[in-house]
Amino acid sequence: MITVTELHKQFRRAAPKEGPFKGLRSLFSRDYQVKEAVCGISFQIEPGEFVGYIGPNGAGKSTTIKMLSGILHPTSGEVRIFDRSPHQERRLVTKRLGVLFGQRTQLWWDLPTRDSYDILAAMYGMDAAKKRTRLGQLRELLALDEFLDTPVRQLSLGQRMRADIAAALLHDPDILFLDEPTIGLDVIAKRNIRQFLKDINLNLGKTIMLTTHDMDDIEQLCSRVIVINHGRLGFDGTIDDLRRRIGLPTIIRVTYNKAESMEHEVPAPLRCHSRAGRTLTVECNREQLSAMEALRLLEQFGELEDVHMEEPNFEDIIHRVY
Amino acid sequence: MLFLTLARKMYLSNLQYRSAHLVHNIASALFGLIYVSVWTGIGEGRSLGEYGLNGIISYVAFNQASLWIAAFLNNGLGMEQSVRTGQIALDLVRPVHLFYQLMSKEWGQIAYQFVYKFLPIYALYFFVLPLHVPSSVITYVWTAVALTLAAYISICLNYIIGAAALWTTESRWLYWVNYAFSMLLSGFLIPIEWLPPWLAAISRASFYPFLHYVPTRIYLGMESPSALAGSLFWCALFTVVCLAVTGMMRRKVEVQGG
Amino acid sequence: MKWIHMYALLVRASIRSRMQYKFNFWFSSIMAAIINVVEFLMLAVILLKFGHIKGWSLAEAGYLYAVLSLSKALYRMFASDVHHLEKYLVTGSLDSLLLRPVPVLLALMSQNFSIKFGELIQGIAILAFSMGTMMQTGQITWTALPLTVIVILSGSVLLFAIGLLTATAGFWITRIEELQNITEDAARTAAQYPMSIYPKWLQGLLISVIPVGFANYMPSLYILRHEAGIWLVGLSILVALALFTIALRAWKIGLARYQSTGS
Repeated sequence: MITVTELHKQFRRAAPKEGPFKGLRSLFSRDYQVKEAVCGISFQIEPGEFVGYIGPNGAGKSTTIKMLSGILHPTSGEVRIFDRSPHQERRLVTKRLGVLFGQRTQLWWDLPTRDSYDILAAMYGMDAAKKRTRLGQLRELLALDEFLDTPVRQLSLGQRMRADIAAALLHDPDILFLDEPTIGLDVIAKRNIRQFLKDINLNLGKTIMLTTHDMDDIEQLCSRVIVINHGRLGFDGTIDDLRRRIGLPTIIRVTYNKAESMEHEVPAPLRCHSRAGRTLTVECNREQLSAMEALRLLEQFGELEDVHMEEPNFEDIIHRVY
Repeated sequence: MLFLTLARKMYLSNLQYRSAHLVHNIASALFGLIYVSVWTGIGEGRSLGEYGLNGIISYVAFNQASLWIAAFLNNGLGMEQSVRTGQIALDLVRPVHLFYQLMSKEWGQIAYQFVYKFLPIYALYFFVLPLHVPSSVITYVWTAVALTLAAYISICLNYIIGAAALWTTESRWLYWVNYAFSMLLSGFLIPIEWLPPWLAAISRASFYPFLHYVPTRIYLGMESPSALAGSLFWCALFTVVCLAVTGMMRRKVEVQGG
Repeated sequence: MKWIHMYALLVRASIRSRMQYKFNFWFSSIMAAIINVVEFLMLAVILLKFGHIKGWSLAEAGYLYAVLSLSKALYRMFASDVHHLEKYLVTGSLDSLLLRPVPVLLALMSQNFSIKFGELIQGIAILAFSMGTMMQTGQITWTALPLTVIVILSGSVLLFAIGLLTATAGFWITRIEELQNITEDAARTAAQYPMSIYPKWLQGLLISVIPVGFANYMPSLYILRHEAGIWLVGLSILVALALFTIALRAWKIGLARYQSTGS
């Protein structure tokens, strides 16, 4: 359905001039620094997949999404969607894509939300009946009714995101590209949006590709993860594969009742991280030892007063992959 | 000193765009050439009063260059922007008077424009047009004083225009309306004595002549420096108005929270 | 046909957006009218005092001015944001236009549509005064009217083409404000006056490099002064269409460049 082959994207940036009259000289000639935003990425996505596309800031995620949706042209390599190139046939391909940039709305800022859907329906050549059915479904699923007549600029962030998702889905695209669809939302709004995305993936068979910085998005939604860092593909597989591959330790911090309990070596395969007063911090590789087993090991030295566990940080995982 | 710090900052922040501004000077110089051509066309076969063809060319050319001192300031001193972002409330609670802050910054802007716009444009005209240039040093001094007072009046005007944004949200349009009136009433293109009597009367009753007409005539040696008494009067009046406006703004911000 | 329908819809949406701020809408319309009236008043004052400029009467000069400002009003009305492409390039909002299954230029043109009431009303008023005066003296007849409409339309295409070409340069140099100052503002201001007042090099510039002279001066030579022949009007239309075609080509190339280098 989506085939990406050896995708490259270079940006040229004007290098600042040094020396006298630099301002004037930069008007006439420029030196460029080349930055490789995306570097030899290939992957294939089949119908019905839910793919998380992750990586640190500036890794090339948005650039890839922009190339997939025909906004940018690749420096080299190829994108095929429904066996068409989004660059040569931008208008044809965009008709079957739904794209959402979480940081930016595609709705008409000053108009009631409903009007944006009218305009979009016309752009995508939907007739009145089709628009009505489609909007009817989305209204129910995304609870749009509470703000359909409110100008977009007055919506809360959560409402705006729902409105934007509806806008991306209005023309019933088969593929969805979602760039940070949960950014800035509160817990409840995030949960609602995840539930909705899960539904349309499972029940309507939409193919979804999502970028995010929220590890929970990935864990709860994606059957597959693609990691990109410095423009290169770092990993492509399931979440479990990803965890296994990294083997990042979970941090367990226990506080003993009595200070004497601290006077012991940390048993393998746990590793001591730090000690302070009655608090011991250890690293635990969950592939080797479950959390319960680890606690049992630690409990043999004395009664525990408090336990605290930290899962590895998302950004750390990404960095570790590369 | 706060005044110098603010003015310097503004000057320096403009400096990084100077290559773009030099390109912009081409457009600005072209505008002046258009107006000069209009008068050359009119002057064909006619005498142009006390100015003469060369006089009127010098008059228009000097006006065009001095636009950058007496007319093209930051639109409303940038207040429309700070009203929209809510920054204005912060600026108002600073221990320094808002008018003083903004005025100091604007002098930096004017200093920059004098060096990178007024001088290049006037230099260009000096070489391509038959300009009348004063020979006595004292004329230059009085011209400088006249332009400084004109700049101050213009700063006050823009302060008031910017403050209007607090009530109208759009002060950009007021800026351009003021600009349009100033083109007509300041004697920018047409010496005031050649305006129809009713327009000339309006002009003479206003501050507009002190922006262009008076400084340029002093420069051309056609007006005595005593005309600057009028400039001083308007400067004083505008200062009072600006202070009063600040008071109103403060009340407005206190009531509405910006 | 489909695109025209689409464009009309987008334009209606833009108008509705505008109407959300009624005060600003009327305020800006009135202010724009005042600015334009004052601009013309300057020319009128000079001509009332001195009678004519290089043989061009007030009515004739007014005609030149009105035709040009009506053309400009049409161009800025129907393609408002072409003039503001720089903003789209700097903020990256061009991307969201590229996501639509609609030609990008059309989507851009339909953004922020605004009815230029002020400019239209004062343009029509000055045109009516100028043509009325000239009809009374018998300088022109009613046949000038349809020709004038054609010239205004062709002029707006010409100004649009110049604006589009300038905006397209933004795909290479991003900052186009200064360039627009020269190609749009200065050139158009120059064309507000009879071109014969300018030195030869400037006249040459205004009919070749930035051919804004074909928006009003050249066709007026025939319509008002019966010089040359009606082919002058035809030539003006031809120049407008030719430049329009070139501008569209350049736009396509520029957009492709944006898509292959943009960030």
